[in-house]
Amino acid sequence: MAIFLFDQVSLKINDQPILSSISFSSEQGEIIGLAGPSGSGKTSLLRMMNLMRSPTHGSILYKNRDLAQFDPVKLRREVGYVMQKPYLFDGTVQDNLEYAYRVWGQTPNQPEILNYLERVNLSAPILKKTKSELSGGEQQRVALVRSLLAKPQVLLLDEVTASLDEANTLLLEEMIRSEWAAKSLTVFFISHQSEQLLRLASIVLYVKQGKLEYCGPKEDFFRQQGDLNDE
Amino acid sequence: MNNLALALTFSLVLIALFISYRQKLGMEKDMLIGSVRAVVQLSAVGFVLKFVFNIDNVALTIVILLLMVYNAAVVATKRGAGIRGVRLISFCSILAGLVITLGGLLAFQALSFNPSEVIPVSGMVVGNSMVALGLLYRNLLSSFKDRREEVEVKLCLGASPREAARTLIRNSIRTAMIPTIDSMKTVGIVQLPGMMTGLILAGTSPELAIKYQIMVVFMLTGAVTISGFVASFWVYRGFFNDKAQLVDDLH
Repeated sequence: MAIFLFDQVSLKINDQPILSSISFSSEQGEIIGLAGPSGSGKTSLLRMMNLMRSPTHGSILYKNRDLAQFDPVKLRREVGYVMQKPYLFDGTVQDNLEYAYRVWGQTPNQPEILNYLERVNLSAPILKKTKSELSGGEQQRVALVRSLLAKPQVLLLDEVTASLDEANTLLLEEMIRSEWAAKSLTVFFISHQSEQLLRLASIVLYVKQGKLEYCGPKEDFFRQQGDLNDE
Repeated sequence: MNNLALALTFSLVLIALFISYRQKLGMEKDMLIGSVRAVVQLSAVGFVLKFVFNIDNVALTIVILLLMVYNAAVVATKRGAGIRGVRLISFCSILAGLVITLGGLLAFQALSFNPSEVIPVSGMVVGNSMVALGLLYRNLLSSFKDRREEVEVKLCLGASPREAARTLIRNSIRTAMIPTIDSMKTVGIVQLPGMMTGLILAGTSPELAIKYQIMVVFMLTGAVTISGFVASFWVYRGFFNDKAQLVDDLH
């Protein structure tokens, strides 16, 4: 089943064209890598998928229904989004990880929280810490866990490993891969690294100057484009 | 006080003008305009109040109160420029604070509905609510700008706009209430309020003047809280569109 179907989607922000005539479809359970130069509109493309932006023209179908018909608050519970810069709220890591439970009126599930933390190499003592006591890598791992605790069906990742070292990058990738395998999660991630796209993605979307220049298997993409790191 | 003595008090404004000029504060024009406006407005309102107090008409009193609320709303609106529907929100919020607190005082028979009692007391309430709303809007505008990322992360985690803005709203209400709370704490120690001083100067016994002042302090606290609460939980919607997205064009 196509989970997302973009049909001639264009986006303008403050009358500035950001994306034009984007069309593609993606299947449930795929890991899709978004590549392209900085400022090409990749983040805006992701933000349209969880209704943080609405297209100026064209239509987006989610599970064969017009995305515009969805209640944005409910949709965002299904389509999670993690930003490049991890933003942790004031308070402790525990407060952050309980956030999704609390806004949905649920009781926080402590064993579940601990289980997710362990999977990204973090342990219970971190729960009492505040963001100023965490390294960049720890903050990003907590931000990812916070999104995964909301149990999304689709995960949108905006360069979440950009500021991480190799060890943390591989740790996060492993977490993403295991969630994908266990829950048939659909993942869209933005990356500038060829190696990461090769490791994680099955499909690559290549966006340049607001236009979708490639959509297809990663192998064909790299055969045609060469190494992204050379851009 | 004779007119000459009053005119001589203008020398104090001249001192302020001199300081402003020497320190290059650039406030001379505003000070002069403010002084002239104060004289003209207060003289005019003196005649109007004398007329309204003499007529003692309920409908006219209500019209005066509504005009006060409207003017206060217009001033508060300037602090919230760019927020959707801010003038209507200001008017309704200030009116809500006034109606509830004034209604309470009338019900408790602390006041009777005649213009000479209701209009001065309402003026204080409306003025304080206006200042509180101005602070509230300024704080909300800067908070939504500075903490945009926090609001967006919360929205992405499935929070409703109200939930995502809750911390910002709470902080803004606190900021709006600070002047009222501070003045409540220091009343009688740092400042002798205008109403009490005025009543004593007019020959009212200090006991009665103090009773009125205590009533006004309680009323102001209630009105500012009600106005701030109503406005904040209404005005935050103006920062979001119908798709629960933060709007771009706020300044």
